[in-house]
Amino acid sequence: MFKEMTFALYAIKKNIQNSTELRVSFLLTVVGMAINNGAFIATWIFFTQSVGEINGWQIADVVSLNGFVAISYGIMFSLFVGIRRLPQYISDGVFDRFLLSPKSVLVRVATSSFHASAVGDVLFGLICFGAYIYLAGMTIPQFLLSILLLGNAIGMFFAVSVIAYSAGFYFTDGFSVTYSIFDLFMTPTLFHGGIFHGAMRFVFTFIVPSLVVGALPAEILKSVSFFQAVQLTGIVCIWICGALLFFHRSVKRYESANFMTFGR
Amino acid sequence: MKKLRLAGKIITTLIKDQWHYRSRLIADLVLMFVRCGILLVLYSYVFRLKGDVIHGANFVTVAWSIFFYFALSTLRLRDVARLIMQDVQSGAVETIFTKPISYIFYRMMWQIGAGISSFVVAFIAGSVALLFFVGAPETMFVGIFVPSFIITFFAAVVLNLILYVIIGFISFWIEDINPIFWLVDKTIMILGGAFFPVALFPDFLYKMAIWSPFGAAQFITHTVNASWQYQWYMLVGMQIMWICVAGFILFWVSKRAQKRVSINGG
Repeated sequence: MFKEMTFALYAIKKNIQNSTELRVSFLLTVVGMAINNGAFIATWIFFTQSVGEINGWQIADVVSLNGFVAISYGIMFSLFVGIRRLPQYISDGVFDRFLLSPKSVLVRVATSSFHASAVGDVLFGLICFGAYIYLAGMTIPQFLLSILLLGNAIGMFFAVSVIAYSAGFYFTDGFSVTYSIFDLFMTPTLFHGGIFHGAMRFVFTFIVPSLVVGALPAEILKSVSFFQAVQLTGIVCIWICGALLFFHRSVKRYESANFMTFGR
Repeated sequence: MKKLRLAGKIITTLIKDQWHYRSRLIADLVLMFVRCGILLVLYSYVFRLKGDVIHGANFVTVAWSIFFYFALSTLRLRDVARLIMQDVQSGAVETIFTKPISYIFYRMMWQIGAGISSFVVAFIAGSVALLFFVGAPETMFVGIFVPSFIITFFAAVVLNLILYVIIGFISFWIEDINPIFWLVDKTIMILGGAFFPVALFPDFLYKMAIWSPFGAAQFITHTVNASWQYQWYMLVGMQIMWICVAGFILFWVSKRAQKRVSINGG
């Protein structure tokens, strides 16, 4: 386990060094992504201004929701974006080289790439949290709670990505299918949390866990409920275990593409 | 005539390709219906909470407006920018420039062909589902609706293509166009009324949507608003004006871009 962690950190460090080599492009991408994310927050702020408060959700809650989603997405897809390339690795036959590695296949795949634009997401998320502190304030318990909730959100992103992109093992044209599965989860993560109620809230918490990465953490942070945070951690742990199981089962379906290139 | 034959060939080839690899088509459709469906269920709840009318608009108007945005997005016109960037980065653009066809026309037709199957199926199935579950807004019964909708739809397709091709051509000067692409794409998303429908826009945002090319690229989302029957000629006129302006910019940018390419020379 320790060896795997050391390897993952080494791979991430090399990926970052590689990405920052083209500095102007790296900075442009980071700043561009941060501005791009502003569109979502702007949309739901306009919505809140036009429609008014819904189920107690105010502008500060929309800001904190965006903070949670952006930071967790950013950390997940800057450091472990390789998971996203899994369908491509499978269809190109590149996956062979991961199977031949003595390291954990999932760690090797996850850390095989780095996404500079996701650093922009982290930057945007931090700005959101700054704005949240300005708008609603933040106590020390809330700060500690937000770290736990962020960990949960990253864990959930990891679990859903592993499940969605492992579906590439089951389809010939895996890219579009896996993208759609992930997008089904991703799109509602940025929606105004107050408009989910009843059956919709249940579905998007337990079946498609979009609310677990943004809306629920924002509500828990507001109500400072450590009990709910622990419940959320339980849900995330179940999803992570399920994702690991699904990945290892799916890998068994892989058949080498027999490319003469031995991967890239 | 030759151009039309080429366009027909590209589009039919890509339609056959889409029907052959059906998983991609199904994925596109499922994604569109899920995205749009979730939003509509959520908005129906919001309208129930707020007494069925917000800013003078009812749920039926908002539902159709959101649906038109997502239906148009299944054409994937925005992907043309990234295709051009890939052509430039891989050097494929040099090969196409040597052929006796217009590169811009070829890429535009390719993009339409790549998305047309998903669009037609999504549009027909979605319209039937909306008519059945939600009903039709009053503007749809006005005589001018169908012809004005068709005109504004074609104008929207042309304007979207021109805007995204311009962004794609920027890759002749900068290595990665993604930051610019995101900026324009999200502006179109907001002003087009993707997640927050046009009918609910505050005044200043509505003015921005009306007077900017990014809003004009999605005027089909305005067609269900009550004001459409009085405004349609002005909005269609705006679209045509932006097509001319953006078309001129594209012509100028493409001429300068072509000068930067040296065939087989890097």
